[in-house]
This record gives sequence, C-alpha cells and structure tokens, in this order.
Amino acid sequence: MTEYGQDEILELIWTLREEGCATRTKLLERSEEENPEGLLGELVLSGLVEVSREDLRMTRAGDERARGIIRRHRLAEVLLQNLFDLDSSQMENSACKFEHILTTPVTESVCTFLGHPPVCPHGRAIPRGECCDRIRTEIHPLVTRLSDAGLGDPVRIVFITPKSKKRLEKLSSLGIVPGSRLRLLQRNPSFVLQIGETTIAVDREITDEIYVKRA
Amino acid sequence: MKTEGLTPVRKSGKVILVGNPNVGKSVVFGYLTGRYVTVSNYPGTTVEVTRGEVRDRGTVCEIIDTPGVYSLLPMSEDERVTRDILMAEPGSRVIQVADAKNMRRSLMITLQLAEMGIPLVIAVNMADEARDRGVMPRIDQLEKKIGVPAIPTVAVRKKGVDRLMGMLDLATTPNVGISYGEKIESAVSRMESLIPETSPVGRRALAIMLLCGDDSLTQWLAENVTAERVSEMNVTRNRLEEETGGEIAYRINQIRLQWIDSLLEDLGEEAGVAEGGGWAQVFGRVSMDPFYGVPIFLFVLFLAYEFVGVFGAKILVDFLEAGLFGKAIIPGASWIVNQAIPWPLARDFLIGPYGMISMALSYAIAIVLPIVGTFFWGFGILEDSGYLPRLAVMVDRIFKKIGCNGKAVLPMILGLGCDTMATLTTRILETRKERIIVTLLLALGIPCSAQLGVILGMLGNVGPAATITWVAILVAVILAVGFLASRVIPGESSDFILEIPPIRWPRLGNLAVKTMARIEWYLREAVPLFILGTLILFVADRIGWLLWLQKAAEPLVVGVLDLPPKTAEAFLIGFLRRDYGAAGLFDMARAGLLTNLQVVVSLVTITLFIPCIANFLVIVKEHGGKVAAGMALFIFPLAVLVGALVNICARKLGITF
Repeated sequence: MTEYGQDEILELIWTLREEGCATRTKLLERSEEENPEGLLGELVLSGLVEVSREDLRMTRAGDERARGIIRRHRLAEVLLQNLFDLDSSQMENSACKFEHILTTPVTESVCTFLGHPPVCPHGRAIPRGECCDRIRTEIHPLVTRLSDAGLGDPVRIVFITPKSKKRLEKLSSLGIVPGSRLRLLQRNPSFVLQIGETTIAVDREITDEIYVKRA
Repeated sequence: MKTEGLTPVRKSGKVILVGNPNVGKSVVFGYLTGRYVTVSNYPGTTVEVTRGEVRDRGTVCEIIDTPGVYSLLPMSEDERVTRDILMAEPGSRVIQVADAKNMRRSLMITLQLAEMGIPLVIAVNMADEARDRGVMPRIDQLEKKIGVPAIPTVAVRKKGVDRLMGMLDLATTPNVGISYGEKIESAVSRMESLIPETSPVGRRALAIMLLCGDDSLTQWLAENVTAERVSEMNVTRNRLEEETGGEIAYRINQIRLQWIDSLLEDLGEEAGVAEGGGWAQVFGRVSMDPFYGVPIFLFVLFLAYEFVGVFGAKILVDFLEAGLFGKAIIPGASWIVNQAIPWPLARDFLIGPYGMISMALSYAIAIVLPIVGTFFWGFGILEDSGYLPRLAVMVDRIFKKIGCNGKAVLPMILGLGCDTMATLTTRILETRKERIIVTLLLALGIPCSAQLGVILGMLGNVGPAATITWVAILVAVILAVGFLASRVIPGESSDFILEIPPIRWPRLGNLAVKTMARIEWYLREAVPLFILGTLILFVADRIGWLLWLQKAAEPLVVGVLDLPPKTAEAFLIGFLRRDYGAAGLFDMARAGLLTNLQVVVSLVTITLFIPCIANFLVIVKEHGGKVAAGMALFIFPLAVLVGALVNICARKLGITF
C-alpha cells in the first residue's frame, strides 16, 4: 500500500503548495496516513520530492505524478457532485478512491464528458489534461445541461437525472428520454423546447436535469 | 340525425374516442354524433366524458368522447377518467385519434391500447398540417406493420372522418409484439398470473400498470383481488424495482419509444417539402417572448376590453336596455298589463319594481346577455387561436408564488367566462393542492363574464382610475390569498410541463357554434335563476322582509361599507348569481344612487362575494361539502373586510375617483 500512501502525500503537498505553506510540519500535521515520515522518506528516495529543512519541493517527476492525482480527484468531485448530487462527505470519500483507480483514457473521457471543467466544487483549479488542450478550438463542452444549450441548436439527450420518479414518467410519456433529439427555443420567462413537431414549456428545474450533447 | 324508417338495431359494443390531448377527438365526436361539444385549441378542453349516439347503416351505437392522455398510466384526474372508462366498458372498440405531426407520441397510446387487447382503428388527424411541414408518415405502411386500419383525416374540414364508422368493422388489436427484456417480462408474467381472468382489459396491460406502481388501481384491486394476492403483487413489484434500480415506468416508456422510433423509421414519410414558418409561427414565437410577450398581452387585453367593455357593455347594452327595453318593451308591456290585468298585485308582479319583465328579463336580456355574448365570442377567438397556453408560459413564475404553475392560468382565464365551468377544468392540474387553490381563487376573485361585463360597464362611466384601482385590488387579493393558501394547504405542487399547440386561424364555423352553444347554456342556466331571484325579492318586498333585511344588513352595508341601504338587495340576489347582484348595482348607479367611491367599494365587495349557487354546487361535487362550506365561510367575511378597507383608505386619503 505504499503507492497509495505516496499518492496521498503527494496530493497533500500539492494542496499545501496551493495554500502557500508546503512545509514539513504542516504536512505531518495534516496527513491522515499512519506513517507520513516514512512515506515522505520513500518519496525522497524515489526522487519525487526534495526536502531542504522545513521546505518541501516536488521534483519534475513528482510534480507530474501529483498533477495527475489532483486532476483525477477533482474531476471525480465534479462528476459526483454535478451528476449524482452526492453530499460533500460522500463526494470526498468516493473521489479519494477514484483518484487511484482511473486510468488516463478514462480520465480523459470523464473530463471531456464534463466539458473540461476548470475548477472543482471547492473552487480549486483542476490541472488541465491533454484532452483540454485538444478541444480549445471547440467552444462548447461536449455535454451540457439542456438549460445551457444554445438556443435553436439541435441536441440529443444523453441522460436525465430527475428528482422524482413521477417527473421521469411524465417526461418519458411526452417522448423525452435519452436519445431523443430536441431544440431549446427560449429560456425566459419559461423554458420552451421543441421535440419533433411538439412545443413544450417546462420549468428550469427540469431542463437542469436533462443533459444533452450537440446532435 | 333523423330516424330512417325502421328502428335501428342497437349494437352492443361501444365506441370510445382516445388520443393525446389537443388532437381533435371532440371534433370527430361532433362529426359522428351531430352533437356539439366544446372544441378549442389547447390541451385539456375536454375534462369529462361525453356520450353520444351514432347511426350507421341501420344500426346505432353509443360513442364516448374522453379527455386527452399522454399515457394510460394516469398522471392527472382527466387522464384517469379516460383510463377508467376503458376499464369500465369491456368489449368496446376504440377510434384512436392521432396527431399526424406527432406520431411518436400517438403510437405510445396505440401500444398501450394494444396491451389492453382493445380492437381499434386509427384516425391520423391533422394530416394537412403534417403535410405542410413535410412530416406525414406513410399510412399504408403503418396499416401493414401493425395490422390496424388507419386513415388520414382533417377532422375540422370533415375529410376522411366519414369513413371511420365503416372501418370500425375491421377494427383489430394492433399486432405489436414488444418485449421489455427478460427481467421485466418475467415479472410481467408473474403479475399476470395473479390477476383474475375476469379482468376487464388485457391482463398484460394491467400487469404492466401495476408494476409501474399505478396507485389509481388500488380501488379496483381491493374490489377484485384477494388481499393475499395483492401483497404478492407488491412483492413482485418491489423485487423488480430492486433488480432494475426502480423507475420501471420510465424504462418501459423508453423501450416503447425505441420500438416506435424504429417503426417510424421503417414507415418512412410521404414525399413533400416543408413550408417555411408563416405569420402563425412567428406570432406563436413572439407571443411568449420575454420582451414582446408583454406588449402583446396588453394589446390582447386592450382588444378584449374594447370589444366586451365598450362594444358589448356600452353600445349594445345602451341599444337594448335604454332603446329596446326602455322605449319599446317595458312601456308596451306596461300598457298591455295595465289594460288587461285588473289586479294591482299581478301588475306589480310583471312590471313593478321587482317585476318579471321590468327586472328579471331586462337584467337578463338587456344588461347581461349582450355582455356575455360578446365575451364568449372574443373568448372563443382566444381559445381557438392557441394563445392561452402561451399566456401560461408568460405567467408561470407568478403562479409559482401562489403554489401553482403556469398551467393554472387556463382555468383562471376560463373563469372569466364562467367560474362554474372553470372549476371543472381545474382537473387538468395534477395535485389536489393546486386544484383547491385555484378553485378557491376562482370562487373568490375571478369575476365571470356576465359579472365582468356589468362591472366594466359601470367602471367605464366612473373613469380609468377606478378601473385600475378595481383591477389592482383584485390582483392583490388573489395573490395574497394564493400565497397564504399555498402555505396553509398541505400537499405538493406539480411540475410545469405544458404542451404549446400551434397558432391557428380560428375557424368561423366552430366559433359561431361554440358561442351559440354557450349563449344557449347561459340562457338556460341564468334566466331561471334571475326569475327566482326576482321572485324572492318580490315576495320579500310584499311581506315586508325586504325592509327588515335592509335594516338588519344596515350596520354592515351602511355602517361598514358606507353604501345606501338599497345595496343590500343587490348583495342578497348576489347569493343566487353574482352577475345578477352586479346588475342590481348597475341599475342603481344609472339611477344616480351611488357616488363614484361607492361604486368602487360595492364592486370590489360584489366581485369578491361568495360564489354563485351553481359554482358552489360544483365545488361540492369536486371537493366535498366541507371544503365548499369552508371556502364560502372564508370568502364572505373577506369580501366585506376588503370592501370596508377600500372605503376607509379612500376616505382617509381623500380619494373620491
């Protein structure tokens, strides 16, 4: 489990650095690992972290690894909060597990799926990945809430995350299910959608729960 | 429809019209039966079942018009009415009226009817609109794929509907063969085995409804299935919910839609080019635009006021009351009565101050009828154009504040026609809480057309400041009471999901028939009550009760509201019909018995006054006697209180209008 522990220490150093106090004392104080001293030693031996008295500094290799961990953790946070409405403690717990298991291609998919979010739910920067640079030319994220879709753009429903079962049934009886194509016509004073030849007015609450991508 | 010589043979099975909302079921019904039922351009016009008879080649059979449904798994009262009628009439055949432009949704109903095992034919209606838009499905292919007779129709132009009755002989259950996957299917067959064989519709359909958690079937279950089996059904459903992660209805709908999408793909569409959006589509868009929508609404209001308030309430009323009745009928009747009837009592009964001709008929025919007539005409135009649902979009946010959503504006606007009819229309709202709030607000603050016209006529003579004050007070009371009611009344509010029909040019024929039907209904409903009210006043006057009543009501009418004692009469007959009460005030104002301030105070009070008898009875029918009595007991003191406040504030501030 040393790799797991190392990841946690690297992650903490990154966070402390963001806060501007990457010191040995702080690290030992904040770490939740059993043997932070030993783990730090391992990291120094592997050439990932340099320690000069109090100050902690990540080497280039260490920085890269930490960057990946932070990226996965914060993307997981966004995913869990935006899509599954988990409360913060559950979100934190699961995000901590996600950061260790996501492979690079999966991370890229998650990032693309979320539309390359720049910050995590706590407002901290998410390190950019390769995928983020690739799409700079495209303006729109891949998947957005229907509420944020461009007016008149044809979109396709990817998934729906409704608060109530009844709402889901009602929407599905109107033909609003994943895979359906529709257009958002207006946002004010109510949201109006066009699906096939039908025009339907709905609340913002509902369009917030419908995730779409450009068709 | 005349009898054709021989007595026609009565067919045993019935014919039921089923389909999505606003697809034209009532138009088809009207064509087949020759009976008129209200037809409009917004979803939810029909909230009750209408029965009629159709004669076809020497036979006669009963035909039933139903409220529109998006699904036979009911979400609101009106949808439940339709599902229940299908359960209550086994052995019936269905004419499904489909919207050619929206076959995806229409076929959802076809699939559910197929599962119920009901033989049907499909009228693919509004074929003209679908062709204009280049989305007309190929009907011949549809017939081939699902094995059910189908025909393109344009019901409002009577195209294709004449062939429906003949096609019914070929009605069969659609051949759909849809499978919902292993887990759901095994639960369905388990459920089916628990449903008694005597079930009125296909057991597969009931099994699916029960798996979807349809609470509205509880009653049926209690009556037809043993408690043991019911609990086993619950186990089956719970197990399936666990296996699929809940949301069974949604999954089933999703599979149905996939099936439909691939069917529609197979069918293909008729070749044709879509025409660009004409003026109707442009108007449809801007009328719910946050910016242009408001001036459009104000313009519509202005037109309505000019037509009903000025043309109806001033020009026509002047002509009828001052001219026809004042110069011809009443003097003529007086002359005849004085010549022919020697008894003073009988003379008074006809032409005295509380006479049948001088009061009841002249109020009903000369004051209220022209106003109601112009209102129904103008309202019909609004209904048929498709503007009303767009208004719902505009006001959704305001209605959220009073515990409802934009949909509630439909019954509220309808209330301006008649609160009684509108109270029935509250069925389109999905929760009991919303229905009660809207019913209360209708009874409290929405003046019906008859009353509104009389009131506008009076206010018009006082001036715009009085009109604006009156409107502002009513809106404030409605919002305040609505806001409080939404806090006090338990229950939930529903989502705002409303279909917006296309803007259409109203058809003169339908407009004329609808207006005449409503006027006829008004005459039948109102005139007897006007006569009864006059009779009560006449008798009360004779035996001296009227004076006594005026004395008894004096502390309230004179003391609190600062109105002349005679106003008590208007309030008394206001118990029978509010418009009749308003007409009494109208008469007093004309005679110069009321100051401008008194006009405003009395009008605010009579507008808020307790609901008329018909409205009260409908509230009892829909919500029970307790709720109705509670509402009346709340509304009456509130009306007097608000009237008194207006009086006191105006006097303190020195406003005399």
